[in-house]
Amino acid sequence: MSRVKTAAMSSSERKAYYLNRLYMILPVISVLLLLLLWTTASLNSDFPSPVETWNRLIELFERPIKNKTIIGHTLASLTRVFLALAFNWTFGIAFGILIGWNKKCRALFTPLFNAFRAVPPLAWIPLITMWFGIGEFPKALTVIIGSIAAVVVNTQAGLSNVQQIYLDVGTMFNANVRQKLFQIAIPSALDAIFAGVRTSTSAAWMVVLAAEMLGAKSGVGFLITRGMDSMDMPLVLMSMAVIGIVGAMLAVVTQFAERLICPWTRKRSN
Amino acid sequence: MPMDKKKVKLRLENISQSYVVNNEVRDAVSNVSIDVYDNEFLVILGPGHCGKSVLLNIIGGLEKPVEGNKYIDGVKFTGSDKRIGMVFQRLALMPWKTVMGNVEFGPRLAGVDKATRRKIAQKYIDLVGLKGFEKAYPHQLSGGMKQRVGIARAYANSPEILLMDEPFGQLDAQTRIVMEEEIQRIWQQEKRTIIFVTNNIEEAVYLGDRIILLSKCPARVKQIYEINLPRPRNTMDPEFLRIRREVSENTDLAL
Repeated sequence: MSRVKTAAMSSSERKAYYLNRLYMILPVISVLLLLLLWTTASLNSDFPSPVETWNRLIELFERPIKNKTIIGHTLASLTRVFLALAFNWTFGIAFGILIGWNKKCRALFTPLFNAFRAVPPLAWIPLITMWFGIGEFPKALTVIIGSIAAVVVNTQAGLSNVQQIYLDVGTMFNANVRQKLFQIAIPSALDAIFAGVRTSTSAAWMVVLAAEMLGAKSGVGFLITRGMDSMDMPLVLMSMAVIGIVGAMLAVVTQFAERLICPWTRKRSN
Repeated sequence: MPMDKKKVKLRLENISQSYVVNNEVRDAVSNVSIDVYDNEFLVILGPGHCGKSVLLNIIGGLEKPVEGNKYIDGVKFTGSDKRIGMVFQRLALMPWKTVMGNVEFGPRLAGVDKATRRKIAQKYIDLVGLKGFEKAYPHQLSGGMKQRVGIARAYANSPEILLMDEPFGQLDAQTRIVMEEEIQRIWQQEKRTIIFVTNNIEEAVYLGDRIILLSKCPARVKQIYEINLPRPRNTMDPEFLRIRREVSENTDLAL
């Protein structure tokens, strides 16, 4: 079928056709290469092979840990992430708009905020644990702290870089300050705000696993620690693979949401 | 139209503007007084960076002059005014809005209800020849089409005076000629007082009822030409070429 099709094409069309095919195959090749390397590395060592890791996943369905299969643990981590993100996307964006739009507020808060975001989220964990113990709230708080900066920084940048000419258009139409903010500045900053949403999502997913490794009874981070404590290397590897796959899926979902909400950022195709 | 029947729509009186650049006062506009007649197509012509845009920004209220007054229908006003609209030089369309969204933007800010503003916007989208492109985003349009949206947007706010700041300066030569014909057609269909800034002499002679020639920096009124050729004008007509040469010889070169 493809031979018949390619025979009718000009040479440049044929080249484009094969290039397209190549771009679809390359990602698959890299994954296959990884699996091959992984299998080779596990041949003459204690290191679990991909098959053993896969079997561990199936086993977890048969004998859940703390009454949860891998799905339950992934959902536990995701719940924490989305609780924290809901907070961040509300208050982080609001705060970013405030300091991006109002120069006085920017001058007031910028030094404090810069110092705050220089402290890595891991450094907050001891303090948060001492204050709040190891329940759900302290974990969500750790994730909030670890991912709010990305939202604030991007939102602020978007708001403070609104092009003067758009605001001039507003002036010509007698827009008041509120209209300039809500009808011009914020829409024009939406792509920057979305960059913050994307970055904060991946940051939150990383921080939640760190938070879970330091004391939790559920979540993928907890599974890794459990695997380490019980010398269950397949469990550790399986959890890491799940983290990678879920993280990649989150990135795809946020990108899709951005295209849906900001259709004008879509570049001309072809 | 005989001179005495013309009514002054906009009057600029002794307008001056200067800026402080590197601790040095630089005059951009110096003591400019202009009368603009009702429904006139006035072209302000001058060399590059001579303060033409500054003058338009002052009329539109985007800048405050250091000196001078402005009047509409004999009544003094300051700042921006909803009777004045502007077509911007750089493409100032909102990339996040469709053609319809951009054109209805003015009425929307003014609180006009959706059905009414859609009707207004549709009228001017049709007028500029963009019927069928209502749902397109600016990045999907060509340069000439974008400028058509800019013109429709300015018209949709129903201004009495339209300021155009070198609207076709960034278009390629072919598109520019088409757009010059188009703006003339649109103006003849929907008469407004237009103040059109350009540095292109042929464009000025082709479009203007009158041309106000500005000097190089700081901008002063150097000469006023009345162009009484019938429209649409033929750029190869001997009289057209004579006026063009006359203006050209009087124009300061900006380097």
